[in-house]
Amino acid sequence: MATQDKRSDTSDFPEIVNTDNLQSNMKPIYYSRTFLSIIGGVIAGIWGFTGFTGFVFYFVVMLAASFGLAAKAKFSADSYFDSWNRVLLDGILGGLMSFVLFWTFAYDIVHIF
Amino acid sequence: MGLGFVVGIIGGFLIAHAAFSTIQYRGELKIMEEQFTGPPFNAVIELLVGLGLCLWAGLAVPTKFLSILPHSDENRVVSLPANLDFMVFNHRGKVLPSNPDLKLKI
Repeated sequence: MATQDKRSDTSDFPEIVNTDNLQSNMKPIYYSRTFLSIIGGVIAGIWGFTGFTGFVFYFVVMLAASFGLAAKAKFSADSYFDSWNRVLLDGILGGLMSFVLFWTFAYDIVHIF
Repeated sequence: MGLGFVVGIIGGFLIAHAAFSTIQYRGELKIMEEQFTGPPFNAVIELLVGLGLCLWAGLAVPTKFLSILPHSDENRVVSLPANLDFMVFNHRGKVLPSNPDLKLKI
């Protein structure tokens, strides 16, 4: 009903995982990364970054976000996720588009109009 | 959660203020016909502090992670939120193989 079986072949992986919680744990990651991409875009636009520098700034912000998410998971991804990739890499490419949108938006408002 | 919101809003205000002061600074540069090399120093500080506050708020405000391990204390009882008359407990019997083709012999 609420929990289902999820069997795995690896020996050190728990055989039963609460998949409801696993999926609902994806949401905070997604919200955090989207919000931080938007904030990072606005800051990059105000600061006046153009070209490559802006993308470097985005990846710096995402690195900080990954570190923060790992800290939020108390540095043990196994109790909250099925792999470290979810904490560290998920959502970075999706956030990139929001970042570029708000980056151009803020840059236009501050520097052009 | 309330504190996270407040911190996020403060961060947002700082960033907006930095945007306004950068716009003003650019206006002054246009009058003096100089090149724009970067926002003024206090705007940069505001941007960095705002970024830090929003980073903190962006990580703290979304709900905390729920444990997925079956043997953690918070996963003992799985119950429908509306009706507590029916309670399901997580137990190791789930790991036992079950044969769905077994028929009840009446």
